Amino acid sequence: MAKVTDMVLLNKPGEKILLLGNHAIARGALEANIAIFAAYPGTPSSELTDTMAAVAKDAGVYMEYSTNEKVAFETALSAAWSGLRSMTAMKHVGLNVAADTFMSAVGMGVEGGFVVMVADDPSMWSSQNEQDTRVFGKFANVPVLEPCSVQEAKDLTKYAFEISEKFKHMVILRTTTRSSHMRGDVVLGELPDEIVNKVRRHGNFEKDPTRFVDIPAHSRNFHPKILENIEKIREEFANCPFNKIEGNGKVGIIAPGLSYAYVKEALSWLNIDDVKILKLATPFPVPYKLVEEFLKGLEKVLIVEELEPVVEEQIKMWAYDKGLNIPIYGKNIVPRIYEMDTKRAVIAISKFLGIETPINFEELDEKYKEISSVLPPRPPSLCPACPHRNSFFAINKATRKKAIFPSDIGCYTLGVLPPLNAVDTTVAMGGSIGVAHGLSVALNGATNEETYEKKQVVVATIGDSTFYHTGLPAIANAIYNRSNILVVVVDNEITAMTGDQPNPGTGDTPHGVGKRIPIEDVVKAMGADFVEVVNPYDIKKTTEVIKKALEVEGVSVVVSRQVCALYRVGKAKRNKEKLPLYKVNTDKCTGCKVCISTFGCPAIFWDAENNKAKIDPTMCWGCGSCAQVCPFGAFELVKEAE
Amino acid sequence: MVAVKEYNIVITGVGGQGILTAANLLGWAALNEGYKVRVGEVHGMSQRFGSVISYVRFGENVYGSMVPEGKADVILSFEPVEALRYINYLKEGGLVFTNSRPIQPVQVAMGLANYPSHEQIKDIVENKFNAKYISFDAESIAKDAGNIIATNVVLIGALTQTPDFPLSPESIREVIKVSVPKKAVDLNMKAFDMGIKTAQELLK
Repeated sequence: MAKVTDMVLLNKPGEKILLLGNHAIARGALEANIAIFAAYPGTPSSELTDTMAAVAKDAGVYMEYSTNEKVAFETALSAAWSGLRSMTAMKHVGLNVAADTFMSAVGMGVEGGFVVMVADDPSMWSSQNEQDTRVFGKFANVPVLEPCSVQEAKDLTKYAFEISEKFKHMVILRTTTRSSHMRGDVVLGELPDEIVNKVRRHGNFEKDPTRFVDIPAHSRNFHPKILENIEKIREEFANCPFNKIEGNGKVGIIAPGLSYAYVKEALSWLNIDDVKILKLATPFPVPYKLVEEFLKGLEKVLIVEELEPVVEEQIKMWAYDKGLNIPIYGKNIVPRIYEMDTKRAVIAISKFLGIETPINFEELDEKYKEISSVLPPRPPSLCPACPHRNSFFAINKATRKKAIFPSDIGCYTLGVLPPLNAVDTTVAMGGSIGVAHGLSVALNGATNEETYEKKQVVVATIGDSTFYHTGLPAIANAIYNRSNILVVVVDNEITAMTGDQPNPGTGDTPHGVGKRIPIEDVVKAMGADFVEVVNPYDIKKTTEVIKKALEVEGVSVVVSRQVCALYRVGKAKRNKEKLPLYKVNTDKCTGCKVCISTFGCPAIFWDAENNKAKIDPTMCWGCGSCAQVCPFGAFELVKEAE
Repeated sequence: MVAVKEYNIVITGVGGQGILTAANLLGWAALNEGYKVRVGEVHGMSQRFGSVISYVRFGENVYGSMVPEGKADVILSFEPVEALRYINYLKEGGLVFTNSRPIQPVQVAMGLANYPSHEQIKDIVENKFNAKYISFDAESIAKDAGNIIATNVVLIGALTQTPDFPLSPESIREVIKVSVPKKAVDLNMKAFDMGIKTAQELLK
């Protein structure tokens, strides 16, 4: 169980190790001799990006944390134009951000292999929607590869580079939360000499405006070329070593990506072995030649795929044109929403074959439903000592909650939960400022309008990384169009939610010191009407500054800056520093519950026997905010930091 | 070494308790014993003091990373109510091993929800789900061993003593030795052994 960086760089072909799906993809990219990697973090893709950041120097790879997915995409794309193998990674909603460049660049093709890793999140474990990137691939005419295991995640990555380079066409490597965050055994392949010897590679860009300038006269040639290419790739995928036909029987199952694993497990659980299986690593374009061979002799077919009927639609359309009469089951049996699992595969296959399931799942569900009333909910919460809690607390105090609170994507979205309840909207990265502006002009008007009248206070919250990601154009828009909003940038100086990646506000890069861009300087330069920086650990001062900002008509910005508690504590623990510790003085605690009902730090719990608040010493990270919140001074410092 | 066709462990608890580390340790031990291995995790939001579930599966052949409902041989829980939350994963006649100290969710502290009693949890596991329920204070044991951080190692030590557990304590020791910082090896070994001893008493 060595360090991930050591494992990913281990040049011992044939060695078997346990890797996370995302780590395996990083290894696959290195085995493919990748030269440039650029991405913006997003769960469940982040570990790929972080692994590349960690090994970049030792592998001669240029790696950057870009400010958003579109920029990352353009960075990696132009490297591929210059003949280098390059990669970008993002979560499914990240592709929406990159979509403008993505859609236009397909027809320009690439010189070096270009792989776009997109991690979907069926069931939305940490996302705002459930979208199927395979649909996006089909829409853009970009081939989609999808692994069924961790081993395949590595091998398919390498194959993706080869296909991309062979057809000069970008390729999507699509994973899901399950395949990205699954650990499995992986046999390592060989690392190229350049990677082993840390040779930083540089490309060569051949000018060709007819190819790289998408004015209508040029881009009219792209579309037919793209379609032609896709058909060639479809042919190629009939021989893709990761697609295969298995077993024999009169009935068949087609299983793309990870669904193959669930189907295999379901069949073994059901004790069925007379089923023919088409394992598909290429959900788009579906290789019809292979499907035709698979269908020979079959009486009926079931397509088990997660989310959208991408493979189903392709095959049904093709079968109709061919005049094939074979019944094809798919989304009429297999759920179209939420993630696929073995239970779902068992139920679908049982229905398809008209047999009983090995467990009575309905009975189990009933039994579980009965006990669910006993279970207290435990949603994720802002950490102890999280500065965002203080920011929200101060906003609530300053506005007496009489405001609308558009917020954004990040840890601070958890401010939606009680007791803070300080988030009214979130839609997408950077959306808080755009929504705040829209609400303000809809409800009050713009401050330069004759009808302007301030009836509604609007306070947007946005994180530092999100601010640079897509907050910048939105704040420029609000300032330019004379909005009256307060934007509180909750700046914890790191991209915390996805695992502490640096951003322009942090300043550091994987290559060393970058250039720090202070948020307050940016908004001042843009012409914000009020700008101040506060430390949210000082609740009183923060509240006062927010009150002051609310009095200013126009766009006010308060940068609420305090480093992420999880990051700070992690660092302190590694350095063997002892954190301060707080305790409830039970003589002073009146049991008013203000600390719990308005602040809600997870380290504070309720001692029902004595009707007093209590601090869990294993969870207290010593920020001392509780002492500022308690009206009776019941929280006391028991141990100073060492 | 016991050859096993398939063994499924569900590990549950609260984000930040070291659940992913525990799952990874068991996964490596299984790999070193020559099994096919799958470990399933959820990252991101769920880490922040929310409810967490991880899966460790190994055997002659394993496919997906999630243990199907009704198929877990054992639930190893770092917090009592979290064992109950995922009880539907346990197989008929399975085993629940849990650290006994409750962590009160904010909603409970606010009075918006209740935390079930120890007896209530035990009753549901034993009588509704027909499973064995073993609860002990793994945190105190870890503290006695030197650091509360080693709670997960205490629990894993205890796990090795459950009937028909396929991985040898020795192969788990080997993984712990190479995965924790050098200074912490002794402490973790002690915690592991204390977990083993406690389980031997409890399982008598």
